[in-house]
Amino acid sequence: MRVPLSWLREYVDFDLSADNLADLFSLRSQEVDGIERFGVLDGEVVVGEVVEFGQHPNADRLNVAKVDLGGQIVQIVAGAPNPYPGARVPVVVPGSVLADGRKLKKAKLRGEESNGMMMSERELGISAEHSGILLLDDSYEVGRPVSDYFPVGETVLELDVNPNRPDLWGMIGVARELAAILNTKFEVPEPVFDPSCEPTGAYTLRVEAPELCPRYDLRRVSGVRPGEKAPLELRRRIHAAGMRPVNAVVDATNYVMLETGQPIHAFDAGEVRGGIVVRRAHPGEKMTMLDGHTRSLDEEMLVIADEERGLVVAGVMGAETAEVGDETTDVLVEVATFAGRNIMETSQRLALRTDASGRFERGLDPNMVDFAMNRVTDLIARTTGGEPAPDTLSFYPEPVEPWEVPLRLPRAELLLGMPVGEGEAAERLRGLGCEVEAGEGKLAVTVPTFRRDLTREADLIEEVGRLVGLENVPESLPRAPQVGGLTPEQRKLRALRRLLADLGLHEAVTYPFGPDRWTRDLGLAGDVGAPLKLQNPLSAEAGNLRRTLLPGLLDAAARNRSFGARGGALFEVGHVFEPKEGPEGMREYALRYRMRGEMGPDAEVPPELLMGVGESNKVAGVLAGIVRAAGWNVPPKPAGFFEAKGLVERLIPGATFEPRTTPFLHPGRAAVVLVDGEEAGWVGEVHPEAAESFELEGWPVAAFELDVAFADPDPEPRFRAFVNVPAVSMDLAVVVDRDVRVGEMLREVAALGSPILAETRVFDVYEGSQVPEGKKSVALNFTFQAEETLTDEAVKEELDRVSARLRDAFGAEVRSG
Amino acid sequence: MSVVERIEELKTEALSALADAGTTKDLESARVRYLGRSADLTEIKKGIRDLPPDDRKAVGGASNRATKEIEAALAERLAEVAVSEREERLRAEAVDVTLPGVPYPKGSLHPSLRIIDEVVDFFVGLGYRVAEGPEVETDYYNFTALNIPPGHPARGMQDTFFLDDGLVLRTHTSPVQVRTMLSQEPPVYIVCPGRTYRRDSDPTHTPMFNQIEGLAVDKGLTLGDLKGTLAAMARHVFGEDVKVRLRPSYFQFVEPGVELDVSCFVCGGSDPNCKVCKGAGWIEMLGAGMVDPAVLSEAGYDPEEYTGFAFGMGPDRMAMVRYGIPDLRLFFEGDLRFLQQF
Ligand SMILES: [Zn+2]
Repeated sequence: MRVPLSWLREYVDFDLSADNLADLFSLRSQEVDGIERFGVLDGEVVVGEVVEFGQHPNADRLNVAKVDLGGQIVQIVAGAPNPYPGARVPVVVPGSVLADGRKLKKAKLRGEESNGMMMSERELGISAEHSGILLLDDSYEVGRPVSDYFPVGETVLELDVNPNRPDLWGMIGVARELAAILNTKFEVPEPVFDPSCEPTGAYTLRVEAPELCPRYDLRRVSGVRPGEKAPLELRRRIHAAGMRPVNAVVDATNYVMLETGQPIHAFDAGEVRGGIVVRRAHPGEKMTMLDGHTRSLDEEMLVIADEERGLVVAGVMGAETAEVGDETTDVLVEVATFAGRNIMETSQRLALRTDASGRFERGLDPNMVDFAMNRVTDLIARTTGGEPAPDTLSFYPEPVEPWEVPLRLPRAELLLGMPVGEGEAAERLRGLGCEVEAGEGKLAVTVPTFRRDLTREADLIEEVGRLVGLENVPESLPRAPQVGGLTPEQRKLRALRRLLADLGLHEAVTYPFGPDRWTRDLGLAGDVGAPLKLQNPLSAEAGNLRRTLLPGLLDAAARNRSFGARGGALFEVGHVFEPKEGPEGMREYALRYRMRGEMGPDAEVPPELLMGVGESNKVAGVLAGIVRAAGWNVPPKPAGFFEAKGLVERLIPGATFEPRTTPFLHPGRAAVVLVDGEEAGWVGEVHPEAAESFELEGWPVAAFELDVAFADPDPEPRFRAFVNVPAVSMDLAVVVDRDVRVGEMLREVAALGSPILAETRVFDVYEGSQVPEGKKSVALNFTFQAEETLTDEAVKEELDRVSARLRDAFGAEVRSG
Repeated sequence: MSVVERIEELKTEALSALADAGTTKDLESARVRYLGRSADLTEIKKGIRDLPPDDRKAVGGASNRATKEIEAALAERLAEVAVSEREERLRAEAVDVTLPGVPYPKGSLHPSLRIIDEVVDFFVGLGYRVAEGPEVETDYYNFTALNIPPGHPARGMQDTFFLDDGLVLRTHTSPVQVRTMLSQEPPVYIVCPGRTYRRDSDPTHTPMFNQIEGLAVDKGLTLGDLKGTLAAMARHVFGEDVKVRLRPSYFQFVEPGVELDVSCFVCGGSDPNCKVCKGAGWIEMLGAGMVDPAVLSEAGYDPEEYTGFAFGMGPDRMAMVRYGIPDLRLFFEGDLRFLQQF
């Protein structure tokens, strides 16, 4: 809501700078988004009469005027060509400060002196008009300050009005609010007019959809001078409030809307056939609206029509038919209240939001209609020479009455945490327009119908609190009567993130929605069906919910590559989403659960199925390119399967790995991660084809993804006894077939159950010239430990057992040397 | 020359050789030469028994003394040379200490999550617990249970992402508060961090952002408790000197509703060109309020018996203010040039 301060001052008296007023409003009522200034801020604008006007001697596009400022004639150089001898013009004198902060000085323009400036409407803040100098009529007296006629400068506060306060969408409401804050009076101009002339009753009014239209009033103003322009001050205010002046009738409706918050529509009565009908749109009814678009309506939409055709989509926008134009001499004025929700839905379905629809959506006070009708018909009559009808056709079957809300002061003190005086509370609420009866710590508060947001005690307590001042609320620090803390799972997650960061990965947070290619390029399309989709994504590139964290991290890696990175390691902890098929016939229960929180026919159906979404928390890492740059004494470390696997082994000690192909992973370098036989996730090198489609071609890319629930980065320690007897270390190199898995060899060694074998380590795997074709050499190191010093024979015997076992199981031959 | 004189001569010669020897090796050859098996002095000692008895004593005494003296000098020199040799070796082993050390890996934690962890830790210290919930929410938990029924204008303000009928991407973490209230009896003291979504994208809005909401429901909680709690939180995150102020505001699920501003911790309001507060002296930090009685009732709590406060803040924005980050969009691009700064 734009609040021109000169307008506000007409209703309430205040002695505050714009900045102070803005602060006060912010601390007591609504946030002020900004302060805008127009026209001349400081200085003088005088009515002048042009005496001479002619071409500048040295410049084709400039003119020189001699202007009488009332006894004093000054020379002014002007760009605009429209003044003429005898014309009255506003002249701002040197020394004045303009809205942009510029101070006007005496100047010489191409050799001609210029003492001041003749002003356009835009320069005075009257309108956006800037094609010529504003020409004043003869009622402006030469030599008098223009501010005697209208303000030459304006300051506008931009209020960010909360949606529960439609009363503040009008100047009257704002004035009432300011008066309540300042604890002072405000006064609204009373419309005075003498209804006469043609009766409205020559037309009919029929409301066929009362459920969508609580009130509809119609009044006629006849004898309007066609094409009349609204008076300058009225246009100036409309402009300052952010609207565009049109003609006297439309400007009057807009002016009263800005004043009261109540949208008003005016019809050209001459075009209305028979009378006004308020009805639902016919199925398929079409209307060509003021913005030139033809829209198709349906029965859920309310239409204001005459006996033959639709004239307006109620509360949203009018059709071209029956709009007030330059020929209009007879006007029908509509002031009405519509069902807010219906207006909102209509405006959403038509994708047409207007100033009016925005106001109706909030739900307006039907009792405001009387004042607004009187005010607007008065204004139209006064500005156009029209005559308002003596009668108003009114449909208002169920008048809204003020309601009573009790307020207990101890309750107010409890909620606000500060003392609240009975007298002060009553006075503050009266300032807002309530009637208050006080007594015994209780207030009986009658709420005016324009404050539909005040229905409960808590609502009134809020009003008292903010008007007394929230700075008076003392600070106190309650402590919860419970032990706070993270759950074991939450602590694990913290440790996991910290560990990955310590291991050199950078934590990313990426969007969970992405393009179709996420599914396609990972080769997932065929396997698992379509991902969950957003109905209204911001773009087609962001419509699918991720089922793995991988694509977002690959996109990030590609982005880093495009900016010159040689590689990097990223991780993310985040949710992934799977469609879940509910049981047959559950749709109705699902919708009840989603809309009303009700469970299914029996509590056995898990919410996940009623949601149709499986959501789980994952941790994923992507290692791409050179993961760690070379140092002067260390080689660079490229991404690879075993780098990623090492990370998984740190996150889940004791995990086991089995080869498993996945469409987006290298078929020979991919494994499923198992914890006690359960799948915890996967690890592998990204398939070169997938890497290429994510613009990572030629780079080694390895990744893992784990269910967070399985991660155990810092397991609870458990002490194991050790003995102070030297251990014996022995190496054993064996040659086996190339495709023998070392993991299975180790499992076989462990299966021996040797009482003295403390640790087995793989320290070399070799294929090449020293080893026969199709074979590989695996070098193992064993640490033997017993409670007494081991003899050479005992160790040799155990090592022989190991070799024999490997030979039996894998045909392993011990390499000599 | 008498034998004793010869001994004296040999001793002098030996001592001088030891003094001249500069290395362990030189000293060893001096030892061999003067004390070794075939050294002159050794030969003299071996010949003592062949000497006339009168000379034996004199020669024996002189040769023993000479041997001892030489041995003592040798030991002393050996120690001296060892020291200088070690020093020499260490000098040779010097490295360029300005070369970089072995690069241990250094990763980073996301700036928003650093703030979340810090705020969570603060509330945990006050006895709060951390509650979490799904990001795909039902219409009921995201709106209706929060006093925003279907058709309510506040729904229009939230630019919601919709999925299948009745499902949305949560627009705030408030549904977690509802789920918590429905699953336990008061008192409730929780914070709910997490990702939230609104259909909005411009330089200051991203379609995803992080949020931390909190809820306290107990007997006798007041707006003063809200103010004190959030003031302490602001001081924890932005420094001991910051002040807070409340402004009235509107959120459907609280009444009264307030916004909390924090005094500018950079300029304190003294710099009209301050980048952080834009000269206002105050930074908008969070929305809060006393839990609406309708929300308490919906959760099955008696609003006459219990009151509570709720608050919601944006850790992304807090990180921008705290770390001086100019653009929200940087948070979600996975750009290493950004991430590795934290
Ligand atoms: Zn500042």
